Amino acid sequence: MAEENTTEENTQLVGLLAQFDDPDSLLAACDQCRQSGYTSTDAFTPFPVHGIDPALGINRSILPFIVLCVGLTGLTIGLGLQFFANSNAFDGISPFKGYGYLIGGKPIFSVPANIPVTFEIIVLSSAFATFFGMWGLNKLPMFSNPLHRISRFKRATNDKFFLVINSDDAKFDRSATEAKLTSWGAVAIEEVHQDLTDTKLPKWLSLVGILLAIVLLLPPIMIFRAKGMVNRQTRLHFNPDMDYQEKFKAQTLGPISDDEANPYLFADTRSMRQPVVGSVSYGNLDTDSHFFKGLKADAAPKPGEDNVADYATEFPSDLEINEAFLARGKQRFEIYCSVCHGYAGQGDGLVNKRAMGLAASGKASWTTAKSLHDPVVKDLKQNPVGRLFNTITYGRGTMGPYKDQITAEDRWAIVAYVKALQETGLPVSSEKKEEAEPADEAAAE
Amino acid sequence: MHKTRPAQITSPVVSLNGGQVKAIPMLAIAGAIGIGLALAISFTTEVPIKRFLMSYLASFCFVLSIGVGCLFFVTIMHLTRAGWSATVRRIAEIYAMCLLPMFILFLPILVTVIAGWDTVYEWNEVGYSAHGAKVDSANPPPIEVLKGAFLNPMWFTIRILAYFGIWGLLGYTYLSRSLKQDETGDKTITAKLQGLAAPFLLMFAVTVIFSSFDLEMSLSPLWFSTMFPVYFFAGGFGAALCTILLTCMYLQRSGRVTDEITIEHYHDLGKLMQGFVIFWGYIAFSQFLLIWYANIPEETFWYNPRINGAGWKPMTYVLLIGHLFVPFFLLMGRALRRNKKLLTFSAIWILCLHWLDHYWLVMPEYGRTLHQGINESFTFTGLAAIGDLACGIGMAALFVALFCWIAGDRALVPLKDPRLGEALNHEVH
Repeated sequence: MAEENTTEENTQLVGLLAQFDDPDSLLAACDQCRQSGYTSTDAFTPFPVHGIDPALGINRSILPFIVLCVGLTGLTIGLGLQFFANSNAFDGISPFKGYGYLIGGKPIFSVPANIPVTFEIIVLSSAFATFFGMWGLNKLPMFSNPLHRISRFKRATNDKFFLVINSDDAKFDRSATEAKLTSWGAVAIEEVHQDLTDTKLPKWLSLVGILLAIVLLLPPIMIFRAKGMVNRQTRLHFNPDMDYQEKFKAQTLGPISDDEANPYLFADTRSMRQPVVGSVSYGNLDTDSHFFKGLKADAAPKPGEDNVADYATEFPSDLEINEAFLARGKQRFEIYCSVCHGYAGQGDGLVNKRAMGLAASGKASWTTAKSLHDPVVKDLKQNPVGRLFNTITYGRGTMGPYKDQITAEDRWAIVAYVKALQETGLPVSSEKKEEAEPADEAAAE
Repeated sequence: MHKTRPAQITSPVVSLNGGQVKAIPMLAIAGAIGIGLALAISFTTEVPIKRFLMSYLASFCFVLSIGVGCLFFVTIMHLTRAGWSATVRRIAEIYAMCLLPMFILFLPILVTVIAGWDTVYEWNEVGYSAHGAKVDSANPPPIEVLKGAFLNPMWFTIRILAYFGIWGLLGYTYLSRSLKQDETGDKTITAKLQGLAAPFLLMFAVTVIFSSFDLEMSLSPLWFSTMFPVYFFAGGFGAALCTILLTCMYLQRSGRVTDEITIEHYHDLGKLMQGFVIFWGYIAFSQFLLIWYANIPEETFWYNPRINGAGWKPMTYVLLIGHLFVPFFLLMGRALRRNKKLLTFSAIWILCLHWLDHYWLVMPEYGRTLHQGINESFTFTGLAAIGDLACGIGMAALFVALFCWIAGDRALVPLKDPRLGEALNHEVH
């Protein structure tokens, strides 16, 4: 045929391209094209033209439904993954174990906490479905299109409008279709030819590609091989930054001096310096021995000396003993004291019970915690309030000092509460649980 | 075949055409009956006037948020120089203009505040603020003292006046300029309004934020949430879109608007409706999640009765499903959004749920006192609930009456807007 002579040897006719100069004539042509029964067609315009889809008979895309399905899948995966990962329900059923981990006291499977993650997974999967679904439906990526062989077609992105009828259309007929396109107002018509030249890659390029792929595999292989290996070499320190500093850390040996007789700069060899003798740290000036030590103003006992006459018999005058003060004392008592002395002060705290158990089997040495209802402890002559306070402050026997844990005012509050406890007149000992419980209730009142 | 329509109104211009002459008294009577019924029924409850006023406030905020949403619609359309909405904008302009006269509807509540009663707002309780003697006058909680500087009758009244004044100014500017353009066809009016839209949007934002604090959040004065105004706005704008859509539907069915509003406009309104249904859900959840996760008593006490309260718990689920999931799926997809019957149903549905949303915001505070929990005896079943419902319907009737009154014999679409061509030829994909 005459047409075939004009084309190059190794090309094939795949369609006809018709050019139009304005969107309205293109739309009219598309409309007639569809009515003539052509189905394998496409239109190209520099900007979106409203109504071209129905004119060409293009159905609405199924992309939204793909996105909906993928989004719902994302919802299921997102919620399911969190349910699985946070649950022990699948142990034994699945090869992987969930890890039930309580976060912020929330239930193991806590929907509100899972919503943000689920939401993000829905959004991400939907976005991917939209983007890659669009590629798939448009058969992208397409590295070449026969239309690009026509120089006229370049203006499809500029100012011209094109209609293509493909040769695989059942009604396609070279001359009849061209006549129809002309009758629909095409300004110019060109044949679209596909290049049939061998499209295989040159051999050397494939070789290079294979080599490159092998080289790229090396690092992961090396990393995999290094798994579990031991290396005795010093680590490379790329960024020393402030890792090494000219300073001495707390509780280490001090700087070394040049003097061989005294190898350390300081006589005590420590790097830390002690405060000057007699210095008082800020806020710790305990001049009021009544308030801070429970001693009478003029008493000056030597260390280790325990003389009842030295202890104050009254509460410090600037403390107001009222209900709030006692409530505070009760609270502090139950935090610090009840573990040994028990909530009712009967010397039956949990630590005491446990230690007594251990002591009985010879695993620990322990002095029983004093019952605060003991007549000796209750007796104001033998144990004035100052002595109770002093005991809390500096400890006595097995009991440790609470000076640093409890403030002086709170210690006085505890003393006040202890005196109140003693006034309840509970029995001294409560070895049996049946007795301890009503006693606790009485103390709570 | 595609044809470009001329950029002008071709069909005869029709106003409400005297329809409002009949409608206004009827709607006003309906409103009076509804609100009167609520007042009467409130006397059967424990705290008569309080029950009525709380219910009244919920319904008032319901219509107020719609008006505010319409004001936002006009502002944002000018700001974005939107062409598609030119033919539906007039309806939003008229609704936005309703905000100023709605001040009168707020008077019953404002009176209680000025009079110093704690009927509605407990911060107005004698001695609640720093000025008087509270239960424990020696140690007033500092937060109440601080809030007393903001929440006191005088300052509250000043702010309310400012809100309605600014909304009135904005609404009047939009409507009067737009009507003037109908006569003169002056295109510079559109340009001016576009320039004004930016500062107007700022004024809108500030007033909406603080009005939602004042009207609804301060019902529980110790609670705070910076998300609350966004929540108020999100629901309000969604409801405003529904209102605009329903009004368009009605006007078109009754022949007052013909081919100026096409299926494309309904489609776009439907899209926005769905968008703001999602936005409402997003904001509601954002507000809830932070408070739920942190689990701090000073914040959770607001949610506690709503989520764990006997009657409120199911209502919270109704809101979650009805205000988010149902309209989300009702408006999903092109075919559904172009179905006028379904759109109408969705719009009515969202509006009902929006009223319920405000009911849910306001009513749990009924009977709550300063540091105490919710009043367990509160009931929203039986007669009292009918009263609340009657109040909502009455308030909506008054709102529509206002619309009819302002619409009057004015054109219901802009006649000479320079973007008419764009709006008439609007097409969506």
